[in-house]
Amino acid sequence: MKEKDKIDINALGATLLDVGALLMISGASTGRIRNTISRIAASFGCNADMLISQRTLMLNVHNGKDDRFFNSLKRTSVHGINFSVLSGISRMSWLIAEKNWTIAEVNLEVKRLAGLPHYPRAWVLILVGIAGAAFCRLAGGGLFDMFMVFLGSLLGLAVRQKAAKMRFNPYICVYFAALTSALIAGIPLKFGIGDAQEHAFATSVLFLIPGVPLINSFSDMIDGNLQNGLIRGLNGFMISFTIALGLFTVMFIYQF
Amino acid sequence: MEWVLFFERGFWFGMAAVGFAVLFNVPVRTLLAVFIMAAAGGLTRTLMLQYEANIIVSTLVGAMLIGVMSILFAHKKHAPPPVFAIPAVIPMVPGILAYKMTLGLLNLAGDLHQETYSQILSETVNNGLKVMLILMSLAGGVKVPMLLTRKESAKEIRFKKRL
Repeated sequence: MKEKDKIDINALGATLLDVGALLMISGASTGRIRNTISRIAASFGCNADMLISQRTLMLNVHNGKDDRFFNSLKRTSVHGINFSVLSGISRMSWLIAEKNWTIAEVNLEVKRLAGLPHYPRAWVLILVGIAGAAFCRLAGGGLFDMFMVFLGSLLGLAVRQKAAKMRFNPYICVYFAALTSALIAGIPLKFGIGDAQEHAFATSVLFLIPGVPLINSFSDMIDGNLQNGLIRGLNGFMISFTIALGLFTVMFIYQF
Repeated sequence: MEWVLFFERGFWFGMAAVGFAVLFNVPVRTLLAVFIMAAAGGLTRTLMLQYEANIIVSTLVGAMLIGVMSILFAHKKHAPPPVFAIPAVIPMVPGILAYKMTLGLLNLAGDLHQETYSQILSETVNNGLKVMLILMSLAGGVKVPMLLTRKESAKEIRFKKRL
């Protein structure tokens, strides 16, 4: 019996770290990670304390009955926002208590969630292109501007995905994407085709805006997780700065 | 404003949000909700701007509407509120203002005469502050329902009063 408990707490700790790391890279706020981990730990009758940072998680699990505990660190991999995982883990954390899942079942579910398929690449590219065109329209651009932004966003995202696959630094990926989009959307402005093209140039890079880091930053700050909030905000700021750098490069090339 | 143009704007707000939702890989069942929320929030802001409300206040109200709707949809579609709320508020990000601000900053780094310098400085500071406050009202507005109900999880929020 005692031996079984011992294995339990180690397996539980490892699983909790996996879940936490998965939540972190999928774009959850710090409060959400802490709540989810505590909830899962509580349904196994344990207490979990965490130190959460952008790149590393530190976890301590104990059950309060004896002096055994689990204590470990885990590094998170590169962040890639995935809200299907967020939603799946949130659902799972409630199901564990309701249906009395074992740790093996939790591991299986985590594995399934991590392997969930993304939208088909062509769909993502086209819809993000349309989103760019929508930004352009909202800023007051015409049909031709919208088309150029559509093209720019689509190719920009394709370049970003390609660069990420080639394992470039994430910020450099954003720079390449901004460069591509602005180069394409800047063509009408450079050669004087159509009218009101500054909208196109300015909105072509908007599909890169770091919405999740910035909103999570504010969420963290207002929850009192000031350190994480600051770090996420800084990350968002770095991405914005990289986008601006891409725009400036294009302005230099086109001599605007 | 003409009604056709008004609802066209709503459509584009929705499409921009759906683009981001797909980029963030939200579950398929939530896509329609994201579209509706973004359109509702964006149109609220457009309407308030039409009646000459301040852009920051209008954004805050639009974001608050999105925040409340995100909790409603979270119950209905079984997904956490941020999954709906984050893609839905992104179309309201002040892209043109941010562009003008960055342009202004670049100009300020160049060699300028005193008069043009102070003019560009005041414009840049104005745009920058607007960008910052709009972003803060977006993020804050979404969080308002959670803060008011003082719950840790949207699952605990009930809309009907219990006896």
